[in-house]
Amino acid sequence: MPAASGISVLIVDDQMTMRALVRNGLQQLGFTEFRDAVDGEDALRQLISRPSHLVISDFNMPKLDGLALLRAIRGHPPISKTAFIMLTGRADRELVQRAVQFGVNNYLVKPFTVTILKEKIEAVFGPLT
Amino acid sequence: MDPLEAIKVTFFQECEEQLSELESGLLAMEQGETDSETVNAVFRAVHSIKGGAGAFSLEPLVRFAHVFETTLDDVRGGKLAPDNNVVKVMLRAADVLADHVRAARDGGVVEEARSQALAAALEALNGEAPLGGLVSDELDDMPGLEFTPQTVSDDDGFGDDFGFTPLAAGVIALEPEGPALRTWTLRLRPQNALYAKANETGLLLRELKRLGDIQVSIDRSELPGLADLEPEQAYLAWTIALTTDRSRDEIQDIFEFVDGDCDLVISAEDFMAAPLETSDAGLDAPFDVMALIQQAQADVQATAAPAAITEVLAAPAPVSASAPVSGPAPVSGPATGTPVAAVSVPSAPPAPTPMAATAAGVAPDAAHGAAAQQATIRVDLDRVDRLIDLVGELVINQAMLAQRVTESGVPRSSNIAMGLDDLEHLTREIQDSVMAIRAQPVKSVFQRMPRLVREVAAMTGKQVRLVTEGEGTEVDKTVIERLTDPITHMIRNAIDHGLERPEVRVAAGKGPEGTVRLSAAHRSGRIVIEVSDDGKGIDRPRVRQIAIDKGLIEVDSNLSDEDVDNLIFMPGFSTASSVSDISGRGVGMDVVKRSIQGLGGRIAITSRPGQGSTFTLSLPLTLAVLDGMVVSVCDHTLVAPLTAIIESLQPKAQDVRAIGPDAYVIAIRDSYTPLIDVGAMLGYRTTPLDPTKGVALLVEGEGGARAALMVDAIQGQRQVVIKSLEANYRQVEGIAAATILGDGRVALILDVDNVVAARRREKARSDAKLAAAG
Repeated sequence: MPAASGISVLIVDDQMTMRALVRNGLQQLGFTEFRDAVDGEDALRQLISRPSHLVISDFNMPKLDGLALLRAIRGHPPISKTAFIMLTGRADRELVQRAVQFGVNNYLVKPFTVTILKEKIEAVFGPLT
Repeated sequence: MDPLEAIKVTFFQECEEQLSELESGLLAMEQGETDSETVNAVFRAVHSIKGGAGAFSLEPLVRFAHVFETTLDDVRGGKLAPDNNVVKVMLRAADVLADHVRAARDGGVVEEARSQALAAALEALNGEAPLGGLVSDELDDMPGLEFTPQTVSDDDGFGDDFGFTPLAAGVIALEPEGPALRTWTLRLRPQNALYAKANETGLLLRELKRLGDIQVSIDRSELPGLADLEPEQAYLAWTIALTTDRSRDEIQDIFEFVDGDCDLVISAEDFMAAPLETSDAGLDAPFDVMALIQQAQADVQATAAPAAITEVLAAPAPVSASAPVSGPAPVSGPATGTPVAAVSVPSAPPAPTPMAATAAGVAPDAAHGAAAQQATIRVDLDRVDRLIDLVGELVINQAMLAQRVTESGVPRSSNIAMGLDDLEHLTREIQDSVMAIRAQPVKSVFQRMPRLVREVAAMTGKQVRLVTEGEGTEVDKTVIERLTDPITHMIRNAIDHGLERPEVRVAAGKGPEGTVRLSAAHRSGRIVIEVSDDGKGIDRPRVRQIAIDKGLIEVDSNLSDEDVDNLIFMPGFSTASSVSDISGRGVGMDVVKRSIQGLGGRIAITSRPGQGSTFTLSLPLTLAVLDGMVVSVCDHTLVAPLTAIIESLQPKAQDVRAIGPDAYVIAIRDSYTPLIDVGAMLGYRTTPLDPTKGVALLVEGEGGARAALMVDAIQGQRQVVIKSLEANYRQVEGIAAATILGDGRVALILDVDNVVAARRREKARSDAKLAAAG
């Protein structure tokens, strides 16, 4: 049973609003370690210099989109095991199916509630303490 | 503030950015730039607005954005060709979307009929069911961000709309627990910049050694022979095995000052289990993030749904090549390592490389914008203003110091005086740089104009092309904010009064489409904004007649063409015989002129019959400094804003007439102008100054009213730093602000408008008194 405070999260979204919403939700769940990245490339560079346990990433971003970020993470051994939750819109069924091919851990449909966020994370890490 | 409320504020700020990206993207598409980068940026803007709006349950906004997004998705997927008609509908939809955003922010509502009409027009484009069931059903499934318990469909408790089974993962040990010794492998490859900034690898290694045991090996493989050696080039790389009980962060800290100037990979030997699959991006090879990214993009591309690709190819429209969904096409040949789905598309048009796509498809301005956005930070305006304030103090202080040194008799050639010159130079530079922080491109005003032009053109039935130039020209934020109304008004005027109807234009040998040009440029320390049109120009006989009818000029006035043109700035002048709902609204060019003057600016007009008119605004770059005329009044020093002063003169006895007790007028070129004794008005003296012993400043106040301000003497012209009097003391009648002079004395800055208006009020009162007495 991992403690939320022991899981570091990298939040990736080109929209400050969405990053703040995810961070706000995580804070309510007891998470304390967050970093932000504004696109996939930024996220990848940050992860390579310092890994995180969990990446919560938007899909549609400039430079490197969420799917390619996932692919790049899985393709780079030092960080390939990072848990990855994809933020998607309700209509992006096909996208989630493609993300599955690349080993996505879970997805989170926008807009989400804190409860859903918790469920989605717990599905990956087990119940949080 | 409630954290969610704070996020909402951010959301609306971001919406403005996205709306402007949306509009510039659509305008680029209108110009034929329909490459996937542009289309995707437009899609992303709407998508992001919808996403955020959903989180805050802003339903009308979500509903409209959803319809818009669906249409854009069709364009993106190649199902809908972005021809001129489609883009025009989307531009209008962008306007409505902006209205929805503002309504959500300010608590208003968007006119339902208009919103519905545009939503229907969008849906007509993508041939979907009309707005109704589908969308609202979907909305019921989108709760806001609250603790509302969500019913879930299956046993394990995860909403499974996509047939998805979450992939469990453990919490990987990123850092060792406790202070156990572990061995880290560091790969350090300095770039030229590291050495150029006088950093040194040796010192970094020495620092590392303080953390624990190190074993260093050097990689000289890139080192060329002596003949080819570039002395300023970095060739060497190091691999360091560091055994320490310190954390990764502490190791990382050593490289704090060379961050970005070297490639650095820190990995723990026991850090990860075996790789999922082989990759060239292992730790042994020099690590290249871009290569990893390109490989990943290629892989993603390779698994794209083949259906989408066929559709893109089948589409006859100029949907440029490649991209099904995700940006740039592969650059590195066929993808490896992942199943290549049925993507054997040999006939695919050559996919642009990311670089080429950027160069060819995106306007330089847009590319620049993206880069600029990358390098921006948000700073509270108060902090910037505090800095500007402090720099103002610094300028004053420096001036005082210089004056004292001069007064103490230190020769100009001495080291001290020369040092002071340098200081002055630096201070000015700091001042300019700090002012530049408040400066913003006029783009934020300019980009509102295309919408205005569309609306006014539609209302008047005229064909208009708007050309903007110099959007990147920067000017103080406050100036920009206060420019919107005047520019809006001038553009309305240009279309409504300036441009002719298409048939009239054709009859006059012009093209049916009129051009309105809006430009901004820096000229000699000021910003110059021009609004010009190629319409019929000012109808001088008519303007003259109107002025006569309204009693603004005499029937027999002898006016030059220029004088006639300038009549439109007179209060009470309006050429429209009825107040049309476009230019009318009860404000005329006099209001425009007044607001420009309020910013310390000037406005001028030139017009040629049949060829059009040009309005030229000239504004100061900042409101924090002011060009002033420094004058003496009864041993006090005052500053009059230079922009308000028309001329200064020494009254001659024969020109001055008394019109009552303590009330004088002065004859200046055939007209009588009231004399205002500034000393008496401010209470510095009780017996009025003999006008012939002082200097009169002829000034123009609000609404063109003129007055001659009597002062004792003129000291000179100077740029002064404006200090708010209200913030430091309280508001004083007749005084706009204060400044501190080089000798440390406070000088008050005259509020010319206020002084002139006060004098008129006083006159009205005494006239009334006289009338009552008579």
